[in-house]
Amino acid sequence: MNLLMSRDDLIHWLELLMRERILLAPTRVQGLLLFQPVSKVEDIAFDFDNTTLPPKGWFLPPTETLFSVRRGDGHTELVPATVEREAVIFGVRPCDAKGIALMDNPFLEEPGDTVYGERRARTALIGLSCRQAMPECFCTSMGSAPDDPSHVDILLTEVEDGYIVRAVTEKGKALLPQGLAEGEAVLPAPPKPQAVPAEGMVSAMRDLFSEPYWELLADRCLHCNVCAYVCPTCYCFDMRDYPDKGNIERVRSWESCQSPGFTRLAGGYNPRATKGARLRQRFYHKLLYFPEQFQDIACVGCGRCVKACPVNIDIREVISDLQQLGAKSGS
Amino acid sequence: MDSELIQQIQNQARDLLESGAVKGIIGYERASDGLTARPFFAYEPSAVERLIFDETCTHNLVKYLLDKKNEKMAIVVKPCDSRAINLLLNEEQIKRDMVFIIGVYCPGVVETAWNRKGQTQQARCQTCELLKPVVYDFLAGQEPVRRPEAELYSDILEMEAKPVAAKRAFWVEHFGHCIRCYACRQVCPGCYCPECFAEQLDPSWVGIRIAPKENELWQAIRTFHLVGRCIGCNECERVCPVDIPLSLLNRKLEKEVKELFAFEAGLSPEEQPPFATFKKEEKLGLEE
Repeated sequence: MNLLMSRDDLIHWLELLMRERILLAPTRVQGLLLFQPVSKVEDIAFDFDNTTLPPKGWFLPPTETLFSVRRGDGHTELVPATVEREAVIFGVRPCDAKGIALMDNPFLEEPGDTVYGERRARTALIGLSCRQAMPECFCTSMGSAPDDPSHVDILLTEVEDGYIVRAVTEKGKALLPQGLAEGEAVLPAPPKPQAVPAEGMVSAMRDLFSEPYWELLADRCLHCNVCAYVCPTCYCFDMRDYPDKGNIERVRSWESCQSPGFTRLAGGYNPRATKGARLRQRFYHKLLYFPEQFQDIACVGCGRCVKACPVNIDIREVISDLQQLGAKSGS
Repeated sequence: MDSELIQQIQNQARDLLESGAVKGIIGYERASDGLTARPFFAYEPSAVERLIFDETCTHNLVKYLLDKKNEKMAIVVKPCDSRAINLLLNEEQIKRDMVFIIGVYCPGVVETAWNRKGQTQQARCQTCELLKPVVYDFLAGQEPVRRPEAELYSDILEMEAKPVAAKRAFWVEHFGHCIRCYACRQVCPGCYCPECFAEQLDPSWVGIRIAPKENELWQAIRTFHLVGRCIGCNECERVCPVDIPLSLLNRKLEKEVKELFAFEAGLSPEEQPPFATFKKEEKLGLEE
């Protein structure tokens, strides 16, 4: 027996949620699919593959003020960022939920990032299982699945008459409406995304740092930040202090290892001066440094970078190339 | 795919690599979707078999010449892309004798995205009168029979006719989506400053905030730096992950420059762009 929710029930529940908290949901805006705060159910896209940008921006916004320093008569005050209301994100795909779980590693590890931690604690994730795998999807090879409930608070799986509801966490249980019916509906078989075997990837990476492969791959790379900004697990940022009428704001914005200025030091020296070194960093962080530090590969197989890269640097192809190079250098 | 055209490109590329005339070839190969194209660098004669050309070869490869200034390279260019070579020659960014240009007659390219190939030609191709590259060392393909089908600047005229408030609302919404990924800059053959104003610290022209005001300033300055220089390859619009219609800005200014100075960027390597010259007789109506 499974807990069931009809489509009407879902709409009523979402309407209730948006009255009490901020409700973020996929919305269609000028051809894009973006998670945005919604105030009416009609604005929500229920039928979608995946969003243009992942929901990571709610926890690590493209730009945020971490704190401001206010100066008054002889005293200086540090004002931390204001904490938002409780929020719910509806329509999170299991891969993207895993992305958030991966970002928790660097941001919640002591000393934790206060603003990130606050938002994380005060936001619930309502996941939506994928009904079909897109050609760019490879989540099952990256430790997730189209119906993976692991990293959401509630997982909804669409069936003929509505949704099968799985309350995964206590936070999720508290959020669900009372009196949901149980029914005979069975969970449908999940779609099968493309397999991208990545076994032995982490150890293979240790020997591939000096491969000419990186400079050759970088020939094509434009060194824009598209791959990093559409990635649910890329979390690098830049910080700057901006004065404003005697006060100061400390601002944090997305930044990426592909920018030439990302590693430039005071005095001008840049330890990652070449295109190849910067592109290599992207894959080394995902496939070696992150797993060495936090166990998991920092890729969830959402395929956004595959689709969005203007010059088709395809991480699935890179993984396969590296496997082959690793086999060669290991033999 | 025109197999004869591809054969011509491959043969030329093989000759150049085998004779040692160039270090590498910058061309196109099939992308990982098996459907569209992606840029490809061939350094060995055996690699030229991967070179292709078809209606999905929308990328302007000229940008890559800026990374290869010290090596003689051959490059595959469409007529529109070839204008970028003239731009870079004119601005002394590349040397003519360091480039072997494999020009292709172009019947037009289609809108593409990963795993998606459009059925109709890109809007810019529908108004393009340039069938043959403006500069080349070798010309592949056959002159296509094609006449402009659509009215040039129809969308710009439509935009111009809108009230200021409507234009403002249009751009505020689009720039609100900008994530400052700089793909528009990185792909642009006309954007090659060693340090972009957007990243300059002293003075700091535009802050790091990814927010409406900063996004707007970034896009405004980016556009103005391309006045009389944009050659219309539309790569900026193609690569934008949030679909900002940048060509509306670029082509508006292209139209202004054409009307004011009768100048189009990249048609000749010698003719100076209007903003690189100053003539005393140019009054621009300011004397009245």
